[in-house]
Amino acid sequence: MRIKEVVTGIMAAAFLFVIIVTIIFGSTGWTPSTEIRPLAKFYLENCFNVFNRTWWTASPEAVTSMLWDYRGIDTYYETSVFFLAVISGVALFRIAEIKLGTKKKELGLSIIVKTVTRLIFPLIIIVSISVAFHGNLTPGGGFQAGAIFAVAPLLLIAAFSRHYLEENIKLTKDKCLTLRTIGLTAITLIIALPVLAGALTLMQNQAKPWSPFFSFPEVVGPVWTSGTLFFLNVAEFLAVGAGFTLLFLLLSIPEEEFKRVFGL
Amino acid sequence: MMSLFTASLIIFALTLGAVFAYFAIKSRDLVKAAVFSAGQSAAFALAFFMLMAPDIVLAYVAVAIGIYTVVLLYVINKTERFEEAEE
Repeated sequence: MRIKEVVTGIMAAAFLFVIIVTIIFGSTGWTPSTEIRPLAKFYLENCFNVFNRTWWTASPEAVTSMLWDYRGIDTYYETSVFFLAVISGVALFRIAEIKLGTKKKELGLSIIVKTVTRLIFPLIIIVSISVAFHGNLTPGGGFQAGAIFAVAPLLLIAAFSRHYLEENIKLTKDKCLTLRTIGLTAITLIIALPVLAGALTLMQNQAKPWSPFFSFPEVVGPVWTSGTLFFLNVAEFLAVGAGFTLLFLLLSIPEEEFKRVFGL
Repeated sequence: MMSLFTASLIIFALTLGAVFAYFAIKSRDLVKAAVFSAGQSAAFALAFFMLMAPDIVLAYVAVAIGIYTVVLLYVINKTERFEEAEE
């Protein structure tokens, strides 16, 4: 047993050493790369090219430009996959009403955990909102912001209980479904809008050579919205954040409740 | 060739991740294993950041450290906490 562990340790150390040597001497292809490949060069040069707007997306964030403009349909399908996952979750957990099994005050963890959670909860929400609203200017975007947002109700469920989330924060299953539907409807509308306005492709943000007719305004009032990117990020934030919260609300239904409802 | 500082930070992050992964596999206490797995994710998040992928870091931190760990804890809650000892 001891010899086995020693051998495992030596093997792991040798493996790490090999990886370290390969990374330092660039055998994995210079990470981070010192040269830019032609495809990356195209995106970096064109996504915020103010002087030549033929291919631009009005966003300095190349990743967001790709996600919602150049390869927008991909992201749309990802969103629909997530939509289907959440809908099947809701269909599986069809329980009308959850009754409190134990007394409310006994639920949750110690007072230290509860206090820290109370302090952290608004901070997480503010970070997620800022990631969503700056998604077209800085790293981040709708999915990231939604995933960060979902951590906040998850913490509350773990530290307090799901009843605290439903009764004190008023974030119930039905409200999450409504928020999600609002987000998805907004995405669908934004996708369909350019076609109604005369563009040739769905999900057109800025006019491209193959469809030169319709561009969204890149600035609305004092806000640089990068055409549709800002609104798509916010809508995706709503859809993903509420979707994850909905899943956690369903997951945290006590097992006794299932047994009671289905008579097991 | 990248700067020595970047290289050493990436190497530190990857080594830390490997150590955490080892403990996550060896641990008999599944709750501890889930926490070690979260530590490994934190180390990998640092590596992603050093490899200039801040968009990935934002999604990875939220999903792999927050959501994934808590979902694992839910699953452990439904079964037994301790693995049986090896023969």
